Amino acid sequence: MDEFQEILQDFLVESFELIEQLDQDLVELESRPDDLELLNGIFRVAHTVKGASSFLNFDVLTHLTHHMEDVLNKARHGELAITAEVMDVVLESIDLMKSLLSRIRDTSSDGGIEVGECVKRLDKISGGSGDVHTPVSVAAPIVEEKLVEELKVNQDEPDYDSMGADEVEAEIERLLKERQDQDKAKRAAKIAAGESVPEAPPEPMDEVEAKPAPKPAPVPVAVQASPRAAARAKQDEDDAKAAAPATRAPTVVEQTIRVDVKRLDHLMNLIGELVLAKNRLIKINVDVEERYEGEEFLEELNQVVSIVSLVTTDLQIAVMKTRMLPIGKVFNKFPRMIRDLSRELNKKIELEISGEDTELDKSIVEEIGDPLVHIIRNSCDHGVETPDIRLAAGKAEFGTITLKAYNEGNAIVIQIDDDGKGLDPEMLKNKSIEKGIITEAEADVLSDKEAFALIFKPGFSTAAAVTSVSGRGVGMDVVKTNIEKLNGIIDIESEIGIGISMKLKIPLTLAIIQALLVGVQEEHYAIPLASVLETVRISKDEIYTVENRSVMRLRDDVLSLVHIGDIFEVERILDSGEHAYVVVLGLGSSKLGLIVDTLVGQEEIVIKSMGDYLKGIEGIAGATIRGDGGVTLIVDVAALMQIAKGVKAKAMVEDTSASSKREKSRASDYKVMIVDDSKTDRMIMRKALESLGVTLVEAGDGQEALNILKQGDHNFDAMLIDIEMPRMDGYTLAGEIKKYNKYKNLPLIAVTSRTGKSDRMRGVESGMVEYITKPYSADYLSSVVQRNVNFKSEFL
Amino acid sequence: MSDKLKQIINKQSEQQIGTTEHSADIVQLVGFIIGEEEYAVPILTIQEIIKPIRWTRVPQTPAYVLGVFNLRGSVIPLIDLRTKFGLRPLKHSDETRFFVLKQGDEVAGFVIDRLTMAIRIKKSDIGAAPDTIAADDSMIAGVGKQAGRILTILKVDKLLARDF
Repeated sequence: MDEFQEILQDFLVESFELIEQLDQDLVELESRPDDLELLNGIFRVAHTVKGASSFLNFDVLTHLTHHMEDVLNKARHGELAITAEVMDVVLESIDLMKSLLSRIRDTSSDGGIEVGECVKRLDKISGGSGDVHTPVSVAAPIVEEKLVEELKVNQDEPDYDSMGADEVEAEIERLLKERQDQDKAKRAAKIAAGESVPEAPPEPMDEVEAKPAPKPAPVPVAVQASPRAAARAKQDEDDAKAAAPATRAPTVVEQTIRVDVKRLDHLMNLIGELVLAKNRLIKINVDVEERYEGEEFLEELNQVVSIVSLVTTDLQIAVMKTRMLPIGKVFNKFPRMIRDLSRELNKKIELEISGEDTELDKSIVEEIGDPLVHIIRNSCDHGVETPDIRLAAGKAEFGTITLKAYNEGNAIVIQIDDDGKGLDPEMLKNKSIEKGIITEAEADVLSDKEAFALIFKPGFSTAAAVTSVSGRGVGMDVVKTNIEKLNGIIDIESEIGIGISMKLKIPLTLAIIQALLVGVQEEHYAIPLASVLETVRISKDEIYTVENRSVMRLRDDVLSLVHIGDIFEVERILDSGEHAYVVVLGLGSSKLGLIVDTLVGQEEIVIKSMGDYLKGIEGIAGATIRGDGGVTLIVDVAALMQIAKGVKAKAMVEDTSASSKREKSRASDYKVMIVDDSKTDRMIMRKALESLGVTLVEAGDGQEALNILKQGDHNFDAMLIDIEMPRMDGYTLAGEIKKYNKYKNLPLIAVTSRTGKSDRMRGVESGMVEYITKPYSADYLSSVVQRNVNFKSEFL
Repeated sequence: MSDKLKQIINKQSEQQIGTTEHSADIVQLVGFIIGEEEYAVPILTIQEIIKPIRWTRVPQTPAYVLGVFNLRGSVIPLIDLRTKFGLRPLKHSDETRFFVLKQGDEVAGFVIDRLTMAIRIKKSDIGAAPDTIAADDSMIAGVGKQAGRILTILKVDKLLARDF
């Protein structure tokens, strides 16, 4: 039984692979009906499936494939012309074959699907083809053939006794042909072996490191007899076909290995953990470097850390590559779809595909199919015009849809172009107003590009007549959501009468992304780098308010602004400084400036889900764990742009008052914090400053000092900081303090016995304004403090 | 002969039922304090109990959702039961703990004021929640009485269900 299951599994895998290829071949066949190579290939598929299924006792499937084989056999002997009608039936039977196979996969039996109708039609074609030489009486071809078939079904091997003379001859010819094909394949294999088979169609072969070099000439897949395309295609295709059998040669097959996707997923998760650990290691390394500057073991540690980080990155790329599939897997189904659609819509459309060997992560390949179907359907239905309109407009009778994929940086771009009537921005605006999607006032300010984006709004459908193909009013908005779910963006360009060009830009992988980390108050957020166009530093007076919205001028454009704190309800306990950073976010055609307090840096992050409990929080795409073990939330840029529309301007104009120093009316209004772990040193400083009459607060180490600052009970005018302290040293403390906007301008004075030049440099780097070396005179300390707090002389 | 065999089999099965009944009779709970009251959850729903660690605020959530924290590589929501039960939030003390509860795939951390003890209680000592709050959407599974104290037993699935 187990053995049977194993055979069954192999059979299913093989059959599905064959069928995938079959669909494409058949459509090509229609445009080149006399291509014998192609016909033979198709015939072999039907034959293989038939043979295997009869062996496995799937009678219904055998029955069906047998009849298909019959029709195809006739066709390749030139006894049957492949017309569109014949093709319809053959394609129908292949669909049936697919559903039978799916059923076998799910239930291990092929019962429950009715194939009688289709078989009858197949018979009609093969019987009624007007073959005058057939000795079988024309009156009862169907019955006769059926009998023969039943016999064949039961015995698998063709029953030569019950065949007519011509049929025997046909069978002999077929066998001969097969032999010839094999020889041909072998020859081709020899040739191909010399030149590494680059032209082979997308087979699931070992292509892990084969970079998807864009093919010089797109391989056109003509949908209906088009001499131009056919002629162009013939050469390419012939080459490809000749090389194709070579990839099936045993030596090549042995180089691949089927792996359960679950194992790859698990591997990917582990790599994710490793990346996080690596980030953490890097952070620790930096900390250690600071603390043990100049020690010898540092160099060794540095080497180890960089090797680990290098290997981790390589490992990540390697594992990512094992999960890559050629996008051709998705593209393969489109020739067939276009063919069906063009017949249904009475249009003439041809599809050109290129870059089908561009690779994408498996999970993305699975998700990208549906959106592409929608887009291509829309192009067929709404984009490409009917032949008469096209001719009247002076265009070629055939509409062309180009589907291409290529790599661009860390992303893959899938571009769908058509040469149809294009999008009319005015029409789109009017329609949106009509449907209440936008107001007239909004429509007036829309650019053409923004108008194109209207088709992605829920409830928008442009076709005047609703067809079964599209125009149900769902679709494009779903497309957009799906693409955005993949962290991708859509860009539309169009010109009336020329056509539409749609670009989907999708990251190569979902799990690990590059992100820009930004800070607001005490919180950090990660923004996917793919959506970040640029960052700019601005001062507050560069922000203008227009119609209750904050905007700024960015070169020649006006950019609307929103503060990240307003979107994520961040409490403004700390005051932002004079300057802010604007992260310019771009998603398709829309842009938004996000005001943040600080830019932390760029980091590779691993996206983690927050579980069902916190799923779908607006504006948050997930979370990641940082090098320090903390959790940082990842911004959902698409949702954020949506939220931003509802946020009114308050930007950052208010609460400057909080930081404005209150007028000092007496000496004790000045507050100075003394941070030193030595009680004696604190006492010395206290003694030196007490005479000024200022208020003094003491802290025993950096951590304590930071806590006092955080509590916000005091408004300090200056801090005296020792460098060497337990828990948190002076440099770190200074760095921490400078992170708070509120304390950006707080004078920090280092008081230390470290006198080296490098110590001074580090002091300056971490934000210290003065550097006093112990021992010092009381007067000197006092004067430095006075200078830094702007001590009014009248209090002396 | 066959009668005897039957008898033995019956006896054995009776014994088995007896033992399972015995263990099914006792419920093991872990008690904790929130505010003034003592609450409890079944011991098997507790993944772990940890001391408070750093967490990250998540915007657009109710006040009782404090945020998320990192538990050995997993990002887990943190819920403050004081706030959820309508009490004034309190600064975390040395006795504050995070209760990490798990049911199925759902995991969340809950902030509690103080841990009491593991409790074994007879099923018969657990009464239904008072009628007024026994509705389906109540978080209370029952009220346990033991040695002069009253435990409110909470429904873990309700605690872990998102209600915003």
